[in-house]
Amino acid sequence: MTGRGAGSAGPQKKGAPVREFTIDEWMCAAMAKTITDGEIVFHGFGSPCATIAMHVAKRTHAPHMVLVEGSTYALDPEPAFIPPTSNDWSLMRRAGHTLRFEELFDLGARGGLDRMFLSGGQIDVHGNTNVTAIGPPEAPKVKLGGGGGGCNLSATVGALTLWATRHRSGRALVEGCDFITDLGHRTHEGTRAELGYTGAGPQWLVTELGIFDFLDGRARLRQIYPDVTLEEVRSATGFELDHSDAGVVPPPDPVAVTILRALDPLGIRRREFGADELERRFRWADDGSTCAACT
Amino acid sequence: MTSSFTADDKVTTLADAIAEVKDGDTVALGGALSYREPMAMVRELIRQGRREIHLVGSAHGMDVDLLVAAGAVGVVEQSYVGYEQDFGLAPAYRRAAESGTVAVKETCCYTLLQQLRAAEYGIPFMPVRGIRGTGIGAWHPEYAEIESPFTDEKLVAVPALAPDVALIHAPMADRRGNVALTRPLVLDERFTFASRKVIVTVERVAPAHEVAAAGIVLPYFAVAAVVEVPFGAHPTSCYPHYTYDRDHLGAWVKAAKNDQGVGDYLERFVSGAPSEEAYLKMIGEDRLAELGEWDVSSARWQELLS
Repeated sequence: MTGRGAGSAGPQKKGAPVREFTIDEWMCAAMAKTITDGEIVFHGFGSPCATIAMHVAKRTHAPHMVLVEGSTYALDPEPAFIPPTSNDWSLMRRAGHTLRFEELFDLGARGGLDRMFLSGGQIDVHGNTNVTAIGPPEAPKVKLGGGGGGCNLSATVGALTLWATRHRSGRALVEGCDFITDLGHRTHEGTRAELGYTGAGPQWLVTELGIFDFLDGRARLRQIYPDVTLEEVRSATGFELDHSDAGVVPPPDPVAVTILRALDPLGIRRREFGADELERRFRWADDGSTCAACT
Repeated sequence: MTSSFTADDKVTTLADAIAEVKDGDTVALGGALSYREPMAMVRELIRQGRREIHLVGSAHGMDVDLLVAAGAVGVVEQSYVGYEQDFGLAPAYRRAAESGTVAVKETCCYTLLQQLRAAEYGIPFMPVRGIRGTGIGAWHPEYAEIESPFTDEKLVAVPALAPDVALIHAPMADRRGNVALTRPLVLDERFTFASRKVIVTVERVAPAHEVAAAGIVLPYFAVAAVVEVPFGAHPTSCYPHYTYDRDHLGAWVKAAKNDQGVGDYLERFVSGAPSEEAYLKMIGEDRLAELGEWDVSSARWQELLS
């Protein structure tokens, strides 16, 4: 309904070399880079950017990653397109095997999942995420969908890559979440170690404005996109911004962009973004190495 | 409580099968999200005016949203209710949760799995990691913190959960109740062994040898009733028979945004369609045939999902 035709990202014709790219493409490529080759990686349902990031990683720098598809729990499938819903046979295509629900969650519980992607309506400075409710949980202003498996998995998965596509709204990155669904580095009840959690917690937070890592359990801005100013990031961020070391996000590999366009002809990834963000366009420099200008 | 179901022929009508579900029952819904949800049984629960149902399950969509919209639900204990990036939040569920007309007891997939396992294993609880430090525990006074007697670790004990009824839609079963299921199984197997009673709708009742050849996932002694309901998961998918009806789902989500729309939808597709045959007639033969064309080509599949 809304997806048709939304996938075409720029003016280039099919088969022509990729010259321009958009923020959704850049973000998916940046998320892919948080994956290390050989890791067992999982995404939850309703996570098209994470789904795409994992497939891009598998087909570029991480051919030995074990890709566990969200909801279907298919191992290393080769979807012909990303569907708008995640519990769909299209995400099992050419998978040799699909795990059972319990096999996936047991794997996570015993520390066998190396990385998981998580997002949230709110993400706080410690990397806690809220996908449950905005406002008081007993009488929420907005009841969000819920966390699926994140509450348990965030305790035991090796590392988490968080992402947010609505950072600029000012409502997504907050000092403290209204409700903690999935656990970051610490809550008012203590640190991960004090709570007995075996996983290392959030490692990266990728947004449409920049990329954070975590130092001593607090988010720290490491890179921003070239069309974004520090002041914009600061005003959109609900916690005190540590940016002492912030550089520019390196441009995506054109191969990665080509792969993700082919993988997502319906443009499902674009549904995670506000319309204005999708207008952001970027170009590679002539030597292909750096982002020259933003149009 | 009868622990096994041994009748030679369990094939019955949808109305009779669903009459076994009582007001206030804890009900587990099979499938997930847009996939193999027991929608014909959901519609029949509404037709029969069931109230105060306590729903338990993982990540679900229209099944929960429709039951809540119809006023059939007292408690929602699911890990997620919504339509992902497809259509976003579940409007009726959201409204009911925000106004307090249903009690929300949001759960987490592994926690729920461990509760079902405790029921299956015949033990009072299972321990899990997670929950501590999050807000989830506040909705669950029945959880308890425990210390491991072996390692000094603090864990959360979650009690055995045995649903009164599990409602599962499957491609095929025989008359005794042996069920062949397609992957992903989601929690269907766990629901079957943890629940007191299992009601199965199928695309087709098949000869026993055919079900055995396809592979029995749910054995007959665990299944109380079998009802043949072609397209019984519509508008969710039941591969390999049909993909999900995205247009219908979208129309529901639009309707569900207000009470008038909910009323119109229910009047047209649930109360106004006194049987599943009438419901399918409303959807139309042509549309139903289209949903089976997902395997013609990737292009056709993509078209059906766009």
